Amino acid sequence: MKRILSLLVAAALCAPASAALAETFKIGFIASYTGVFATWGPQFQHAIEAYQAIHGKSVKGPKGETIDVVLVVRDAASAGPDKAKQLAEELVLREKVNMIAGLELSPHAMAMADISKQAKIPVVIMNAATSSITRMSPYFVRTSMAVPQFVHPMGKYMVDHGVKTAYMIVSDYAPGHDVETYFGKAYEAAGGKFVAKVRSPLNNVDFSSYVEKVLQASPRPDALYIFMPAGTPSINLVKEYGARGLKAAGIKLFGSGETQQIYLKNFTDDVLGTITSNHYTEWNTNPENVQLRTQLKKMYGDKEETDIASVGAWDGIKLIYQALAALGAKADGLKYVEFMASGKTIDSPRGRFMIDPKERDIVQDINIREVRKVNGQLTNVDIAKVPMVRDPWKADHPMK
Amino acid sequence: MISYALTILLDGVSFGMVLFIISVGLTITMGLMRVVNLAHGSFAMAGGYIAAMMTQRGIDYHLAVAIATVAAGALGAICEVLFYRPLYRKGDLAQVLLTIGLVFVSIAAVTAVFGAFPYPVIMPSYLQQLVDIGFRTYPAYRLFVLGVGGATALILWIVIEHSLFGARLRAAVDNPRMARGVGMNVNLLFLITFVVGCGLAGLGGAIGAGMLSLEPTYALKYIVLFLVVVIVGGEGSFKGSFVAAMALGIIDTMGRYFFHDIASYMLYAAVFVLLLWRPKGLLPPKSVA
Repeated sequence: MKRILSLLVAAALCAPASAALAETFKIGFIASYTGVFATWGPQFQHAIEAYQAIHGKSVKGPKGETIDVVLVVRDAASAGPDKAKQLAEELVLREKVNMIAGLELSPHAMAMADISKQAKIPVVIMNAATSSITRMSPYFVRTSMAVPQFVHPMGKYMVDHGVKTAYMIVSDYAPGHDVETYFGKAYEAAGGKFVAKVRSPLNNVDFSSYVEKVLQASPRPDALYIFMPAGTPSINLVKEYGARGLKAAGIKLFGSGETQQIYLKNFTDDVLGTITSNHYTEWNTNPENVQLRTQLKKMYGDKEETDIASVGAWDGIKLIYQALAALGAKADGLKYVEFMASGKTIDSPRGRFMIDPKERDIVQDINIREVRKVNGQLTNVDIAKVPMVRDPWKADHPMK
Repeated sequence: MISYALTILLDGVSFGMVLFIISVGLTITMGLMRVVNLAHGSFAMAGGYIAAMMTQRGIDYHLAVAIATVAAGALGAICEVLFYRPLYRKGDLAQVLLTIGLVFVSIAAVTAVFGAFPYPVIMPSYLQQLVDIGFRTYPAYRLFVLGVGGATALILWIVIEHSLFGARLRAAVDNPRMARGVGMNVNLLFLITFVVGCGLAGLGGAIGAGMLSLEPTYALKYIVLFLVVVIVGGEGSFKGSFVAAMALGIIDTMGRYFFHDIASYMLYAAVFVLLLWRPKGLLPPKSVA
């Protein structure tokens, strides 16, 4: 199968390029529009369309040529990695795309490794957050985050702010285990102590018993630290925290992505005061964030809200545009990667970031935010910033 | 220690009540009409979304729940006439295919109208409080669910065990051919039961939204739980589904208290053991016993 595939890829590469006046640069875009992860596709795509509405659908190349940027969209349907791989093969062989982008799920991103190496095309990962991904192919560039990166700065922050003991509940899946390790290490290294570390099943939705045990724990912890997949599990756990009176009992709530703006409307005022760490605070006033949000609301209505998908996609397409302007539409795959992972600091709706040349992974400021009421609405307000954080997993796993 | 045990019991029973309210319609339709209705969760989801939409627009919670119940029932009536009636004489496979198709349609429809993000029901402030119940403070919402679930069970029990309609229903479940033979209007009986079952699913979806959150995949995600209640209780058995829902609610909650590492398997292990012991369910109706 692999041999046939590489032959086909070779054939595709040898096929004569069409010599049109305006050049076309095709981006194969893989994300979920249906199934459990159906929010990701539209969130990504809207941000890309907002960027294109502002900066145009074409780029001026280095020789002054016009390069039309075309998005070829495929629905990964929240399915397994085999489906993502099949879509990528189809995009490379039939659509002859020059690049692949999107990818909200880690298994989907990992499934791109072989094909990106065989076809020699860059892959811009706009979400998938498992640390090891960027090591799997020299063609991978990530514009989102790595899980250990945005959770570990909270360890020191909590201890510095008087949280001496904590009770940790994480969901029992790979990112949850990463949080247990990297937040756990950071918190203990700063002098914090865990009353308990608990894993809840990934499909669990009723958190009454977990939260009740926090309340009954002895000694009573200063804080509850949680990590859950976004959506129902995180919403239900935060709700139960309020409903069971943990806040009244003096147990503070800490986390990371649970209080994203898109989920805040699910909560009552019990969520006020929750402190989380994340690379993107939705209502921040960075010029690019204002630009992105204004454009999105203009195009998709007032209810449109940005999230980590929007910022990952915006920064991804921005990097691609910059690379095309510098290198044109016909450059070698690795040249694009080298350009995008230049280590240069780039402005972003999140604030700023850079892509580390060695790891091709993002380095960025991590915000510590508190849920407060602004103009009568719940939102996250930045209360501290940890500058240019690297993914600590990389230091623990040196490249061979 | 006793207060701890009581807390687990309350948590388990309130979760069980939600399962019961939603599943009881399914057990009656499966027992009575022999239709494997995998789309039952879609009616619960419809009720939940209707209640959520109205409460988000400032309509009173209780009114919204009542309207959601009626609307889910009405939706059930339309579906019964259009889709289910032609299915009664078809085999299981046709029923499974059509009803799972309805599930996918409902997921796509809800995503298109409400978006794929979780969609909350806004509850009145008195349900968001903690109330003192003697040995501890406890979320008012769960007590409310307990109350509604208990009242629903009581009403159903009176109707099914002590009314003429109930007698006909039990007769039709126990021996459908005989029921037809003595001249019962079984079509009408089916329609009424189906509508009430869907209405109850809508009620469960609306008041249970604090435990089973609303999102487009609701219809698919929780159908396994509802089917488990039906199978463990015994297809068509009203009392069985009540006992099964309570038992599973309590077992699931206890699992999460004491064996949180394997909590996700506890429920299914319990189902396995229960079905080995009573393959036809805990309290099966006479037709299958």
